[in-house]
Amino acid sequence: MGPEVHSASTQKLVDNLSAKLRRRQIVGSRAAALETLLVLRQIVSKARFSNIDQLVEIIRHAGRQLVEAQPKEHTVGNTVRKVLHHIREEYNTATHGGALAQPRSAFSIAKFLVQGQPRQQNVALKSSDNKQPLKENDADDPDSFAKGLKPVLMEAIQDVLDELETVYDNVSKNAKDHIHSDEIILTLGMSRTVEAFLKSAAHHRNYTVIVAETGPSYSGHDMGKALSSSGISTFLVPDSSIFALMSRVNKVIIGAHAILANGGIFAVSGSLLAATAAREHSTPIVVCAGQFKFTPLWNLYHEYGALDFGDPSNVLGFEEGDLVDKVDVVNPYYDYVRPELIDVFITNYGDHPPSSIYRLIKETYDDEDIEL
Amino acid sequence: MPPKQSNPKDPLISDDDEVLQAVILSDSFNKRFRPLTRRKPRCLLPICNAPLLDWTLESLALAGVQEIFVICRSYATQVKAALSKSKWSAPNSGIKITPIMTAKETFSPGDAMRDIYTRGLLTSDFVLVYGDLVSNIRIDDVVRVHKERRKVNKDAIMTMVVKEAGIGHRTRSRGESSVFVLDPETSECLHYEPVMGYPRKSVARIPREVVAAHPRIEIRNDLIDCQIDVCSVEVPSLFTDNFDYGDIRRDFVHGILTSDLLMKNIHCYIAKEGYAARVQDTRSYDSVSKDILSRWTFPMVPDNNHPADHAYEHIRGNKYIPKDNSVVLARTCKIGPKSLIGPASNCSEDTTITSSVIGANCVIGPRSTISNAYIFDNTVIGADCVIDRSIVGSNVQVKDGSRIERGCLVGDGVVVGPGAVLTPFERLMKKDDEGEDAAGGDNEEEEEEEDSDEEDLEEYQKNVKSILGKDSNALVWPRGPPEDEDEEDEENVENFTNQRFMRLGDDLSDLDSDSSADSSTDNSDSDSDSDTESVTSVATSTSASHVPTTPTIAVPSSAAVAEYEFRVEAKQSLERAFAEGHSVDNAAVELKTLRMASNVPLSRVREAVVGAIVERIKIGGEVAEQRKEIATVISRWGELINKIGGVDAVETITALQFHCAGSDRLPLFGQILAALYQEDIVEEEDIRAWHALPASKGAEVVPGLDADNIKKCWAVGERMIQQFDEQESSEEEDGGETDEGEGTTEGEGTTEEGTTEDESEEDSD
Repeated sequence: MGPEVHSASTQKLVDNLSAKLRRRQIVGSRAAALETLLVLRQIVSKARFSNIDQLVEIIRHAGRQLVEAQPKEHTVGNTVRKVLHHIREEYNTATHGGALAQPRSAFSIAKFLVQGQPRQQNVALKSSDNKQPLKENDADDPDSFAKGLKPVLMEAIQDVLDELETVYDNVSKNAKDHIHSDEIILTLGMSRTVEAFLKSAAHHRNYTVIVAETGPSYSGHDMGKALSSSGISTFLVPDSSIFALMSRVNKVIIGAHAILANGGIFAVSGSLLAATAAREHSTPIVVCAGQFKFTPLWNLYHEYGALDFGDPSNVLGFEEGDLVDKVDVVNPYYDYVRPELIDVFITNYGDHPPSSIYRLIKETYDDEDIEL
Repeated sequence: MPPKQSNPKDPLISDDDEVLQAVILSDSFNKRFRPLTRRKPRCLLPICNAPLLDWTLESLALAGVQEIFVICRSYATQVKAALSKSKWSAPNSGIKITPIMTAKETFSPGDAMRDIYTRGLLTSDFVLVYGDLVSNIRIDDVVRVHKERRKVNKDAIMTMVVKEAGIGHRTRSRGESSVFVLDPETSECLHYEPVMGYPRKSVARIPREVVAAHPRIEIRNDLIDCQIDVCSVEVPSLFTDNFDYGDIRRDFVHGILTSDLLMKNIHCYIAKEGYAARVQDTRSYDSVSKDILSRWTFPMVPDNNHPADHAYEHIRGNKYIPKDNSVVLARTCKIGPKSLIGPASNCSEDTTITSSVIGANCVIGPRSTISNAYIFDNTVIGADCVIDRSIVGSNVQVKDGSRIERGCLVGDGVVVGPGAVLTPFERLMKKDDEGEDAAGGDNEEEEEEEDSDEEDLEEYQKNVKSILGKDSNALVWPRGPPEDEDEEDEENVENFTNQRFMRLGDDLSDLDSDSSADSSTDNSDSDSDSDTESVTSVATSTSASHVPTTPTIAVPSSAAVAEYEFRVEAKQSLERAFAEGHSVDNAAVELKTLRMASNVPLSRVREAVVGAIVERIKIGGEVAEQRKEIATVISRWGELINKIGGVDAVETITALQFHCAGSDRLPLFGQILAALYQEDIVEEEDIRAWHALPASKGAEVVPGLDADNIKKCWAVGERMIQQFDEQESSEEEDGGETDEGEGTTEGEGTTEEGTTEDESEEDSD
């Protein structure tokens, strides 16, 4: 919008990050979210604005560029939306003395289920601190609004950062309530969240984990190593035996790349196979993920390309000269797992059924930001 | 997080430690894409709707290259303009690109390298690629491996990146491939031999030395040479030293590996992961396009990180449609797998498109069929047309009812039809209007050449079989081998039959059956089998003779003349060196040059040097004086024996023995040998090895030499060995040896002075 939307230095940051995202030098939902947040923090700290709309536009502009650079890392957009949401919240408390912020969180499902959410308390505290409402578009001192708001904004961004940094601890907080002694757990792929969850449960319980190899990336190998190194009894099995073993498995615990508004997820390819097999045996399927993976999109699974197809070399070696010409190989990174197949989401803000994800998304992000 | 800008001169480059530099040779130095490349350089031809150069730049950016020099020759202004317009010259691209215009006289990659050297742009190890590369290999890993190797071995000057690909791989060029002989442990490239599709090669000659020096070798003909080279800074200077090096592979790599004077090593990096290929010809244009559409180049695919920043949507069957909904697809049109449709294009009713790339703003008429074809921007194809396995340039109009058969190349701006029928492999270009030649960037020479071409073309039009249609403005290019081409031109890669291996849509059925008729080697698999056989035969036939011979010496008489001349010249050169007191290094350089000029084996040089040094020693005087004289001469000049391009102490002793046996310095043999031993030019083991050789005992009578004298020398050596044995058994030294030791220490004292003087002399040079 405004001509002064970006200074050269912040534009450079945005360009740098979008190049890295495009070239897949930053992969993984948490890494992408963290990098985005760091860039946004720089942008907010350097931004010049005299009212809230200008600030929102600056952030949206950067967010749009980043999302366009890599539409398949959904956490980039999610982080931008979340920051915008927090900024509005801070703005409301700062200008209207917190009168608006209070009722908003009063009906929160998250608050319903989770006791003692640190962020919410902070908001309440700050609103009582701030007695002097800020004045927008001050003609005498156009920077006064920015100067007054920036400290609280930085604090809000820091909250989001803290949330990202503590996401593994918070997800695995109640792990021992989900995993019982002598249970057999099946998992797939290498998910840091699932790893932390299982390790934290291992402090209290004695149980067995079956890790599927998860071809063609074979990230299950890393997972198996990580778990067995911390003393959990671990089996590494080929993907083909998932169905055969399912009758003995008590729970399937998987990670997610993105959680959609309808409660479906994108998860490492092979998840759909495991989920379908689990449904056949009525084995519960548990998804462990941070809330930064909540994505306000629900129809992504209509798009074929959303599964993010990588290069076929993992499946069929390039040196297989004859076949390369005659066979088309697809190698999707992700599977779409339908909400009907999932029993519960364990997030850093409590446990939720797939049917209430839409509600959480509505609370986490502002409606006007869904299209960045 | 924000990059530090410690270098104030270049704020564009965020330098952590050392800037990784790359050189792109944007010119292809051949004309395989003509007539498509008549008005623009090959590196600006689009592949999957982005210019080739952009794919190359993105490939390098992906590998973390920070500074790129683009060497432009033909249509240099166009390349420069394209670079300045592209996203790469934006301030935040993180890459600094400098176009370099070379002279029009740059006819080969070698000339370009010499130009780079004279400009002195490169400061450290750099990446050398062509401007038609598509790759997602982590070149920075290769650079790291290269630098590690350089720390240990200063002579490892280059690392070539190659990619495994099976027999008959679509991306492996059959017209221009290579046999690599590798050491599997160090991945050093020991021998390189270019292979062409025609004339067919069934034997690879591997030098005996390679087989002798390495316990295990790998002979590989299944590698795609990506022609990504990580070079050290001295590579351009080597090109300057050897002014006849043209091609990087055929001349430079082959030259370095076969030369035992330069003593440089070249290594190969067999990329296990990643993709890399060059668009060298129309056939590889086809295969690289298909590789991109099948996502081998991920993360550089049309729907992610497209170099021209188009946004495509990936749909089932590797089809790509622009995201911005600018394309009009009729309800009844069929888009087959592996297809890419450019922005704002229009596919009418009942069109069928399979495995093809359609550029931007194209219109495909109703009921047309396009399969395996590549259509550039702004082209209009009428109704009921058929285009098969061809490349159609930009702004072309193919009118209703035309057929373009396989292998056709249609140049920019051509109009054909209606009802045109092009026979396979037809090449069309637009008839030039007056004054249009003014388009900048064309060099005059090339235009002249073209003009003469055009006159021939007008002639040629009479016997063209294709029907061009009444509205056509096209000229048909002659097909078949040019008449003025001589038979000897077959050696060139660009010979006509070999070109067929690089041609789009050519199934080569006639060539394949030919070759299987006259030899049993049908496919490249058995090719490499026969390679191994030939190696063993080479090895066994030459291993009998002691002196290594190079296969280049074919006629003995001429070789003998050359050898005689060499001996005379070497003698003169050494006498000059002795008289004028040259430094050892300078004398060695002179000998090397001499050896190259007369093409003699290393052993001859050694004989000449040993002989000259022995003759240098004056005879006479007391025993002590004589000993001192020997020590002085050996310590001053003995080093030269090992500096002529290879160390072989056993051979040195043999040469000494034979020389002494034939001259009046026979009594000095023992003392000279002792002096060589003291100077560490020969070791105890060498003397033992020499002693064990049957030739040393005089088993083979050399003409012109006295067998008795040879035996005498051998006896002296035997005494020496006895002394060694005694030394080993009883640690104490006897009187004679202490004497010798004193003598040499004196000698060393004098030489130290001598060498320091020499060094200062050298410095002033």
